[in-house]
Amino acid sequence: MLETQQLTKKFKDTIAVDDVSLVLRQGESVGLLGPNGAGKSTAIAMISTLMKPSSGDVKLNGKSVLKKPGEMRRVLGVVPQKIALYEELSAYENLKFFGRLYGLSGNKLEQRIDYVLELVGLADRKKELVKNYSGGMQRRVNLAAAMMHEPEVLIMDEPTVGIDPQSRNHLLETIRKLNQDEGMTVLYTSHYMEEVEKLCDRVYIMDHGKVIAEGTKEELKAILSDQETVLIDFDQNYPELFTKLSEIEGVQQATAEEHSLKLIIPKGTRLLAALFHEAERYGAQVVNVNVQTPTLEDVFLRLTGRKLRD
Amino acid sequence: MGAFLIKDIMLLLRDRSELLILLAMPFLLIAILGFSLRGIFSGDLEALEMDIALVSQEDEAQAVASLQSDIEEMGLPPEEKQALKQAAESASPQTMLVSLLEDESLSELVTIERMSRAEAQESLDEETVDAVITLPQGFTEGSLRNMLFGESASGELELLVADLSSPQTDVLKSILNEFVRTVNFEGSISRLSGQQSAAEVSGGIETITARQPITSFQYYTIGMAVMFVLFVGSTIAGQANLEQKQMVFDRIRLSNRPPLLYLSSKAIAAAAIVTVQLTLLFGLSALLFRTFAADSWAFWLGIAIISIVLALSVGCLAALMVAITLRLESDAVPAIFSGGIISLMAFVGGSFMPLDGMPEMLRTIGNWTPNGAALSAYFSWLLEPELGQLTGPLLRIAVVAVIFLLLALAIFPRKGGAA
Ligand SMILES: Nc1ncnc2c1ncn2[C@@H]1O[C@H](COP(=O)(O)OP(=O)(O)OP(=O)(O)O)[C@@H](O)[C@H]1O
Ligand SMILES: [Mg+2]
Repeated sequence: MLETQQLTKKFKDTIAVDDVSLVLRQGESVGLLGPNGAGKSTAIAMISTLMKPSSGDVKLNGKSVLKKPGEMRRVLGVVPQKIALYEELSAYENLKFFGRLYGLSGNKLEQRIDYVLELVGLADRKKELVKNYSGGMQRRVNLAAAMMHEPEVLIMDEPTVGIDPQSRNHLLETIRKLNQDEGMTVLYTSHYMEEVEKLCDRVYIMDHGKVIAEGTKEELKAILSDQETVLIDFDQNYPELFTKLSEIEGVQQATAEEHSLKLIIPKGTRLLAALFHEAERYGAQVVNVNVQTPTLEDVFLRLTGRKLRD
Repeated sequence: MGAFLIKDIMLLLRDRSELLILLAMPFLLIAILGFSLRGIFSGDLEALEMDIALVSQEDEAQAVASLQSDIEEMGLPPEEKQALKQAAESASPQTMLVSLLEDESLSELVTIERMSRAEAQESLDEETVDAVITLPQGFTEGSLRNMLFGESASGELELLVADLSSPQTDVLKSILNEFVRTVNFEGSISRLSGQQSAAEVSGGIETITARQPITSFQYYTIGMAVMFVLFVGSTIAGQANLEQKQMVFDRIRLSNRPPLLYLSSKAIAAAAIVTVQLTLLFGLSALLFRTFAADSWAFWLGIAIISIVLALSVGCLAALMVAITLRLESDAVPAIFSGGIISLMAFVGGSFMPLDGMPEMLRTIGNWTPNGAALSAYFSWLLEPELGQLTGPLLRIAVVAVIFLLLALAIFPRKGGAA
């Protein structure tokens, strides 16, 4: 129902979004994954009609929204990356204001406020000023405000940044319910792999403004299907040994982390003999060897040579 | 629209520092200035009373008679001679000065006593009189010749005062100026030095608005009110900046309300806040300091009309500031405005002191500021509650307001589309 075509945004000296084409089908939950500065927020600003693209188009049900953003704005619930609320007003007052902007009033307005507060689990604290809430509670009101006008599509820009695990679980659970029980279409942006793995059917991976991979979780992991991830724990850190091991024939990717080493290798590579041989030479003790199926994190690592976070 | 207004006003009510600036500060200043500067405005009458000694060093009747006989000897037609003699008699400057000083409007302020030169000097030393006006020998004839024949004047008027910087001296100087203008000779009142400071009065024409009967509390209630309403513009533009920074503005855009609704509700919020502000300032000042004696409905109706026009113009000013603030995506405008421009506008608008002595250009600029124009509207209503007097200043406010509004519309980013 929603798509972007060769969406591009150039700022003075950066191309923030470069030729991005996304599709969002009715009822789907789609993840947009990328490290800091990948261009996720910029893409979302253009999709939600808040920013003009340098080129390309955004379409809702086949019609461009660039000239006539009204329908898109009605259909869309946008949860921005920042807390877009009046800090000096209470959650209730904020929701009332945004509800009235959408033409709600009287009983209908009150009911809707009750509903969204219930949804994000803040019904009992609605009278407190937003500035006195914890970060997690502010995030939840941020979502509630986007839900006031019963949107069909929910677009979220890193809605779980900087919040406590409890709020985070609550939020993820809420989004999952909205998507699965109420059939709401969701575009979920994050640089947390686990969240996207848990929530989304399909994933776009962005880096440096470009979509570098897309597909269902399974399809993406299939990129690594002929490979496996081997996690080796040692009794302590052996920098020289780690370097030696990452130079073993066939190793495609190596990441060292304190006492352990993670290697991505083609399936069937005979690694163990070499591993123990080298460990012997350096007097190192192998504590644990674990062969894993790849995660999206590994996919990202493979595609960009970088980790998703930091 | 209602949603915007309620929200803006709720935000203001929760912002204690803004409330302090908008209400507490002007009120405090009214109290301080009102009390401490009591006496410099002639509305505070008792402070301006003065005793004047009038010393005449000539015989006026004889001077007139001698001039009349001179006229008789001129080669003029008899009717003309007759007319000139008549004029010399009735325009005699000494009589005019006395009648000016004893005029109804001044008689409560000024007590005149004729004395000899020596007596006058003594009284001045003992401070039983505040000033001595001396009409020297030849004064009458000189000024009459000047008036009737345009001959250059030889008569000099001397003013000797006890205290050069006292408000009385100011008043007396303007009275004498008035007199000089009436008898129309060129700058020929001059000073005499003594152990007292000497006052020099030139023949220039000075308007004397500040000498109109306005009390210091009236002056500063109005002066501070018209100044501090300007801060509402900064407050509202500051709010808009915050909305933009916190991205609430994006949410508002997403609600797809017409962008101009946002701008106009900002203007109306500003106007509403100004109305409340003026009501509180005038009301409190009237109650606590008995600033306004007039308690007729008609009086307050006039004040209300001026206040509403002023409030609407601040609404337009706020709209302009909001438009610029959103366009620049910075709070520089409200900051600069409240940090300096308001003080400048208040100064040229006459909020701090009367602008009588100021250069003409400054006064013209002041007259075109909303606060300056409103100030003169309030004053003229206070002195003479006549609607016709208000049209000038109110029209100026309206013109400036419309300019603000048009600029605001031109600058306001109309982000209706996907911009
Ligand atoms: N208004 C702007 N002017 C200039 N450059 C910008 C602007 N907005 C974003 N950029 C640049 O565009 C790039 C993409 O930024 P964007 O905020 O879209 O990334 P992101 O994926 O949302 O990152 P994050 O995870 O940190 O939120 C960055 O390099 C950023 O510096
Ligand atoms: Mg972002």
